[in-house]
Amino acid sequence: MLSATSERSRRPEFRQIFWLWLGMTVLLVLFSLWVPARLMGPPASQTMRDVEETMTVFSVAASPVAALVWSVAAYSLLRWRDRSGGQPAEDGVPLRGNSVVTLSWVTVSSLLCVFLLIWGLAEMTTTNASAEATNPLVVDVTGQQWVWTFTYPDQGNVESDQLYLPLNRPVVFRVTSEDVIHSFWVVQMGIKVDANPGTVTKTSVRPDKLGVFDVRCAELCGLRHADMETSAHVVSPADFNGWITQNGGHV
Amino acid sequence: MTAAVVDHPVEHSSGGGGLMRRLNAATAVLAGGVLALIGWFVSHVTLQDGDHGSNQVVLITMACWALGFMIGIGAFNGPINWLLGRDQEHADELFLAGKDQGVRRYFRFTTDHKVVGIQYLIVTMTLFAVGGTLAMMIRTNLITPKSHFLNAQTYNAVVGLHGLIMIIATIIMVTGPFGNFIMPIMIGARDMAFPRLNALSLWLIVSAIPVLLSAAFLGGIPTGWVGYAPLADQAPPGMEAYAVTIIIFAMSSAVAGANITTTVLTMRARGMSWNRTPIFVYGTVASVGLAIPAFPMFMASQVLLEVDRTQGGNFYVASGGGSPWLYANLFWLMGHPEVYVILIPALAALMELTPVFARKPLFSFNAAIVAIAGIVGLSVMVWAHHMYASGWAPDLNGPFMLTTEMISVPTGLLFLVILGTIWRGRLWTTLPMMATYAMLWNFIIGGVTGIYLSDVPADYALHGSMFVTAHFHYTLMGAGLTGAIGALCYWFPKMTGRMLSRGPALISFWLVQIGFNITFLGMFAVGLAGQPRRVVTYAHLFATGNFVSTIGAYLIGIGMLFLLYGVISSWRHGELAPTNPWGAKSLEWTVPNPVPLENFEVLPVVTADVYGFGEPVSVPEELPATEPATVGAGDSTVLAAPAGTES
Amino acid sequence: MIMKDSAATLDNEWRCAQSSIGHVDYGGGVIVRRVLLGGAAVVLGGVAVVALTGTILNRAGATPGTLRATVNGTAQTSQGVLPHAFLDLATYPDSMAGPHGSSGGAHPDWVTYGPVSNFSVPAHSLVTITIKQYDSGEKITNPYFAKVHGTVGGTVTVDGKTETQTDPDLIGHTFTIHGAPTNQDPLFVSVPLPAVADDAPTAPGSDYPAPHVVTFDIITGGPGEYIWNCEYPCGDGYYAKFGGPMATQGYMSGTFNVV
Repeated sequence: MLSATSERSRRPEFRQIFWLWLGMTVLLVLFSLWVPARLMGPPASQTMRDVEETMTVFSVAASPVAALVWSVAAYSLLRWRDRSGGQPAEDGVPLRGNSVVTLSWVTVSSLLCVFLLIWGLAEMTTTNASAEATNPLVVDVTGQQWVWTFTYPDQGNVESDQLYLPLNRPVVFRVTSEDVIHSFWVVQMGIKVDANPGTVTKTSVRPDKLGVFDVRCAELCGLRHADMETSAHVVSPADFNGWITQNGGHV
Repeated sequence: MTAAVVDHPVEHSSGGGGLMRRLNAATAVLAGGVLALIGWFVSHVTLQDGDHGSNQVVLITMACWALGFMIGIGAFNGPINWLLGRDQEHADELFLAGKDQGVRRYFRFTTDHKVVGIQYLIVTMTLFAVGGTLAMMIRTNLITPKSHFLNAQTYNAVVGLHGLIMIIATIIMVTGPFGNFIMPIMIGARDMAFPRLNALSLWLIVSAIPVLLSAAFLGGIPTGWVGYAPLADQAPPGMEAYAVTIIIFAMSSAVAGANITTTVLTMRARGMSWNRTPIFVYGTVASVGLAIPAFPMFMASQVLLEVDRTQGGNFYVASGGGSPWLYANLFWLMGHPEVYVILIPALAALMELTPVFARKPLFSFNAAIVAIAGIVGLSVMVWAHHMYASGWAPDLNGPFMLTTEMISVPTGLLFLVILGTIWRGRLWTTLPMMATYAMLWNFIIGGVTGIYLSDVPADYALHGSMFVTAHFHYTLMGAGLTGAIGALCYWFPKMTGRMLSRGPALISFWLVQIGFNITFLGMFAVGLAGQPRRVVTYAHLFATGNFVSTIGAYLIGIGMLFLLYGVISSWRHGELAPTNPWGAKSLEWTVPNPVPLENFEVLPVVTADVYGFGEPVSVPEELPATEPATVGAGDSTVLAAPAGTES
Repeated sequence: MIMKDSAATLDNEWRCAQSSIGHVDYGGGVIVRRVLLGGAAVVLGGVAVVALTGTILNRAGATPGTLRATVNGTAQTSQGVLPHAFLDLATYPDSMAGPHGSSGGAHPDWVTYGPVSNFSVPAHSLVTITIKQYDSGEKITNPYFAKVHGTVGGTVTVDGKTETQTDPDLIGHTFTIHGAPTNQDPLFVSVPLPAVADDAPTAPGSDYPAPHVVTFDIITGGPGEYIWNCEYPCGDGYYAKFGGPMATQGYMSGTFNVV
């Protein structure tokens, strides 16, 4: 059985665990603030900006949780490891459970869960609200193995293999497929919706940055899935109108 | 299974006994090949030139192969004899159970659960070897943006095969070897409830392996492991290989599920109340119990696919009135529970071994059960989080986000159980215990990245990118496979009678874990940056991340080879293992090595649970007065002390 | 596995065995050597298997043969004087011609491009591509591909006549060049190839009817790797008619490299 002295000497030092936890949390928070958004790159729409914010916030929120698990695990190896090299001569403390700890754990994780949910729902509501904009630009997106083509129905059905968008104007994409399931993904704008045969799906965004961005297919669609890419050009409204008229459309 | 001794002399049985003794894997392959050839010939002559002809021919050929294989291994002998009213002789039963046959019993339709467990282990290792080799192909191809190592066609097929092989392997990797070998002993039974079904579930999988690999010669599977329609409608005859494999596998898992569930429900030893049932048993039952409603969905999706592909059906063809979303829903109704089918036994195995190596009881056994139940219950309500971007039901995205995020609560509870178990323990850092720590690291990352994906707007950015691939490898491989390897290291002495030599296993552990994290952290990075999944080439922006991932993958490969070496060399000439090398308390550690055919000389009576570390051993009271023996009990009941050493 | 039944002695020895589970001086270079050699052997063996698999898969489904455009002189273009290259291909109603051998390969009834499916053209050049179209056809599903895109002047010459699009009801195939625009100049060309009439008679000295001859010019940018595929559904018997030859390299899809 366990001697009283050996038991006392193995009491956890909560302060040490705390410092371990704090140190890990700080490192993880720094990582969260710095890395995910940077990897996702400069956003080209508020939608993407919100996504990057979500990634950052969720990472920060996860940091103390991860740090808790990892600090306890690390501490256990530092403090409670049996170093005899074989089966330990004594057993550990026979703790069968601790209602307070268990209940607290479940409560805190449920609260975190509620936070995540509220955050997500709020984000979805703002995205939907911005999609109900008046006078959006409508672009019909057609995916066909293995090419994206775009049609501008309100501008005289101008067709193109590259996407041209005017700055700061909300745009609604009506997406469909001629054959298999593709997925229309404008990477830096953070929008994606599948292209399904026989039906039209919709997504919308308001590009707020000039530049050339990537349009990729995000659903394996056969042999040339990796090549099903094109560019999204966000240009000034004047340049956009010029492009439209140049391609036989009307403003 | 103790049958009554038959009164009349044992005759050489007609047909049944003699035939059965001659059937083995070789006759199975022969019979399968012959029937496949016949099926091919007949269908080729009659159907080839019709609509969907080549698909029909391939389907019929594969079905004939599978049927012939099962005939040739003797799967039908039992039912046919039963239909003909012939009872099985005791000698035949013992033969079927593999008595006195040495190595040959592993190549037969052997009913002994220990043999089936070892067979599952070999099949699992083989599948991992093939799937792992394909992974090396994928990563080698992705070492530079346009490596030209594999052309687009081959690459897509390799990706699909890698995925499907690994999914099958991970589904069976814990419940197969350990659910079969260990679990019946752990509950104090002599075998499983349905020993013949046990052998059936294994040999069905074996029959499916050549079917799956034949895809390579039939144009490949172009759809990835998910087999999405309508791309699957369009695919070459390799798609039949996919569909037939799944249909066979669904049958196997249904059979295994019925077997394991019935065994646990009805054959636990006397005194093993639910309170005293080890957590691993709960995990195994939860996993196969979840599989029972889930895999038939997958099977249904494939049957409909084959109707599309061979009969011109339009289930998934929009222009014919069908819907691709039908496939996606059927698939993910299976696909999400399936990841918990994979994960729960691995985590349950870790929860089973951690108390042993912390020398402490499992922390909050009840919480562990509630957590498992919560995961199982919620997992059937989350499937459409794989379809947020599909456009199927945008209004349901919110509710599915809710249910998905709720799963984090029971999952978090499992972390508490493990942490509570190591808290103030006496930690014996053996290989199995190291697996627990690796899981604690990997599963946090896997779980948290799952949270990102559960958020609908974030998922719009991340769906279909390499971020998803990295997430599920962290959960299924970082937690799942790691748990399975921990289980292997833990139960190796009981299953093989030898200790797993520590050197190679240690080298393997570090190479695999470090390589794994390098590979998939690199993959998170390129996914965040915008690289789609399942692409044979990619933009230069992703070059560094992919290069890093590939190097990590090579480390994993070498590490797994060390594990293979360790397993083989220890099996052949490792140090002989004592009955209970770990000082554990569950029943499997009370039986000697090698485990006798019927496990227990005398069936045990259980008076305590298996987590009594650090607790005083209670002296048992008087034997209860003349209680009738339960079904399957031995000749006399003797009170057996809870298994394990003196503390 | 056959084991010696030594259960009785094992229990007595387990204490000894237990102590050897942890750090131990095995006391023999023999065992260490065996571990090193055995481990190395398995690792090398595994690497060899992977290498062999890689070699086999590297060659699987390969479509050998690249047709290089022949450079002949220069031409005056809107971008100045550029080298002038020429590329000649054809589309066939079966695989008896093209790169599949005289017996048509594994799928003799599949439509195919020829003479090969990999093309190489010089960068920053004017490339004149001539396609002989021998196959019949019908209505195209996506009218976008009935139009000409990406050629010089937005036109093609069909049997001597200049056009900007083809009757969408009678298209045999398209030749559509595209590729991921990251790290290389964008290139998108799509030319519809009119169908030969269903009842056209076989031309003398050939297995096929007289083809439509389609010629067009493109101006290439910087070096890059692109692909081409047909965008007219001609994979008969497959879903959306986009399977079979449409989804198999060497038939209706291949590579188009600008070097």
